[in-house]
Parts: sequence; C-alpha cells; structure tokens
Amino acid sequence: MSDTSVFDELPGDLMVWVLIVSELLVFGAGLAAFLAVRITDPAGFATAQDALYRTWAGVNTVVLITSGALAAFALRQSECARRGMARLALLGAALLGVVFLIIKSVEYAAKAGAGIAWDTHPFFTFYYLLTGFHAAHVVAGVVVLTLVAWQDAPRNIEAGAAFWHMVDLVWVLLFPVIYLLR
Amino acid sequence: MPRNPLLRAWAVLIGLSLGSTALSLWLWPPGLTAIAGASILTLAWLKARVILAQYLGLAQAPFWRRGFEIALALFCLVLLGLYLAPGLG
Repeated sequence: MSDTSVFDELPGDLMVWVLIVSELLVFGAGLAAFLAVRITDPAGFATAQDALYRTWAGVNTVVLITSGALAAFALRQSECARRGMARLALLGAALLGVVFLIIKSVEYAAKAGAGIAWDTHPFFTFYYLLTGFHAAHVVAGVVVLTLVAWQDAPRNIEAGAAFWHMVDLVWVLLFPVIYLLR
Repeated sequence: MPRNPLLRAWAVLIGLSLGSTALSLWLWPPGLTAIAGASILTLAWLKARVILAQYLGLAQAPFWRRGFEIALALFCLVLLGLYLAPGLG
C-alpha cells in the first residue's frame, strides 16, 4: 500500500489551493450573477458596456499575463538557486501589477468624470463590485510579491506566485464577461 | 513557437487575449453576435486552462489538472448558457 496521497501531487501548499478555490468560487458566483441579471435587460447592459474602454482592458490583460509569466519565471529561478534573478522577476511582476492598477485608476476616474457611479445601472453595480474586488486582490498581490522578493525562500515564492496566478486566472474570466460579451 | 514551456504559455495567452479583444471590437451583424460571444468565452476557457497548467503548475499534477479542468469547463458552460439565454426567449 502506498503512503503517498493525491494531495502530494498538488504543487505548493494545500492551504494556498484552498484559498485559490474559495476565491474562484466567489468571483465565479459574481460573474454568473452578472450574466443572470443581464437576462432581464440585455440592451441596457450592452449600452452601459459601451462606456467601458475595451482596448485599455485588453492592454491590462497583456500586462497581467506578462506579470504572471514573470512570477512563474521567478519560481523556476528560485528552484535553480538563482536568487538574484528570482527577486528581480518578482519585483518586475509587482511593478506590472502597479501598472495594471494605474490603468484601472484612469478607467475609474474617467467613469467618475462622466458621472457614472455604482448605482447608474445594474451593469455598473457589478462592474464596480467585481473589478473593484479584483483590483483589491491586485493590491494584495503586489504587496505579497514584494514581501516574497524580500523573504525569498522557495516555499514563500511558490505561495506568492500561486496567489498572483489566481489573480491572473480571475482576470482572464472577468475581462471577457464584463468588457467583451455583447 | 518558443520551446520554453513558460514562454510558450505566455505567447499563447497573449495571442488568445488579442484574439478575444479583436473579436469584440469587430462590428458583427446582429445575428452573429452570439457566435462572437461564444467564441470569446471559448478563448477565455482556453486561457484559464493554460494558466492552470503552466503558471500554476498543474501540468505536473494530472489528477488535479483533470478535476480543475472539468470544473472550469462546467463553469464556462453555465456562463455560455446565461449569455445565450436572452436570445432564447
């Protein structure tokens, strides 16, 4: 009889995966609720969506995906005992997280300037709730990446990078549903 | 296509993201917007699979990869159903 369990196969800490799954469930429920409410007013949702900047959201997707690649690269470097390169990649990933937040801030400022608030239309209630909650995770991720660049044990980097990939994963599902689906 | 799996994953993700943005910016005839939407959701599903396998390392954990992919596919089908629902009424 084998002593190994399927949990041994899972990369990284089990608790990080528990966190990832619970976050995915929360965002998944939010996205499903968004599309469920859209059924009641598809034309209103499409009109509201026209106020968003799809191209800048696309740029932010490229920024976050590249940041995720840097975090994954940092883990590979850390596993090869290349600490300097791993730290540099983590700081690069965090910096791109800041770029994402700057673009998001410009987007929010433009909405506020146009008089669009969370209660303008149900579309914007979900828009601010889901993208705002995601942006809060990006802020947390930037802090985590900076912390693990400082305390750079491979186990720390693995946990920090996994959190960042979860933020990335949420965005690649959130971006098309909120910004792109007509 | 790059040989490094990480670089290849990044290139695939960038390509899929540009593809989905281009699909949404294209002016589709009214009857075809649902097809464009279904394509955009399919691209999102593919992107999520790449992140799970390559960024989160599930390519090395087949049992968990299969479980996550089944859950993800079911979730994307729910999203697709909800997206298409207004046109069915």
